[in-house]
Amino acid sequence: MHLPDGIVPIEMALAGYGASAAITALALSRIKSMSDPQAEIPRVAMMTTVFFAASLVAIPVPPTSVHLMLAGLMGVMLGWFCVPAILVGLFLQAVLFGHGGITTLGLNGLILGLPALISFGIWRTAAQRWPDIAAFCAGSLAVVTALVIFAAIVLAGLPVTLDASAERVALGVFLLAHLPLAVAEGVIVMTLLRMLRRVEPRLVPHA
Amino acid sequence: MTLRSRLAGLAICAAGCFTPLVALSHAALIEAETAQAIRLHAFYDTGEPMAHAQVIIYAPDDPSSPWGQGVTDRDGWFEFIPDATEGRWSVQVRQSGHGAMAHVQMGGDAPVIITASGTQSWLQRMVMVALVAWGALGTALFVLRKKGRSDASA
Repeated sequence: MHLPDGIVPIEMALAGYGASAAITALALSRIKSMSDPQAEIPRVAMMTTVFFAASLVAIPVPPTSVHLMLAGLMGVMLGWFCVPAILVGLFLQAVLFGHGGITTLGLNGLILGLPALISFGIWRTAAQRWPDIAAFCAGSLAVVTALVIFAAIVLAGLPVTLDASAERVALGVFLLAHLPLAVAEGVIVMTLLRMLRRVEPRLVPHA
Repeated sequence: MTLRSRLAGLAICAAGCFTPLVALSHAALIEAETAQAIRLHAFYDTGEPMAHAQVIIYAPDDPSSPWGQGVTDRDGWFEFIPDATEGRWSVQVRQSGHGAMAHVQMGGDAPVIITASGTQSWLQRMVMVALVAWGALGTALFVLRKKGRSDASA
């Protein structure tokens, strides 16, 4: 779920860069205020690689297929680090795989960065009491939130020359096809965190 | 009835018989000519065709307003015949927020040059993933080493 170049007007793409820069600045200021942010770098590097490679995994949802997003996992595992990590991952995906555009990098950062931060909030709030539920909700809601932001941006940027009703129908089919992904990513995050809590609890933040 | 009036009556009957025939007979004509068409195949990187996706065509002399529009067929194919305008024609295919742009250079006797994003093989993709993983691993090890040194000196 990446916006390619040329899909939205350039004004929207610039606004996306502005909003993404604001969120990144906020995230960096929070990271700077941490006691030892350098200690998190190895984990951030590894998770960025996982996020980068995840876009290659296509899950068949007839009649189409959907790609893994892992925004929820990024938010849970990295906290505020998820914003710069997702931006780096998106940049690499755009340059190396052609997934998403360079002009729309800011908008794509918002589409996946904001849900990741929401997942981080859910996990931080509820991880102590209901870790499994919190993990599942973090993974699933990230997908749903990303879908909502993606659809809103696409609809807001529809050119007047385009058949808007046909595009809305196609977008509806696209969103429905991604609903199983919401469940799948919820299960992935829940399973992974459950496994990490047993094997290496130090890797699980806020648990 | 005189011969003159008979002839006049015959002329009126003939006009009455033939005039409706002329009015009703829409002759179908065909003029055939050969033309250079551009045919596109739009598909996702998973190989699925972009069925019934919207197509917007931009002519070289006005890249901001569409020259023509259309819809791909169920297999993702679309074709059109550009006019004589020389230069770079741009064709965008989009569907549910996804899409791609292809450029077709048309001009004189020069060969048609088509530029569009190509697909990568799985081997290429795996090499890229491995390179990024290597870069991340290097970053992680570099930070850990640096941190270990600073901890030791403290």
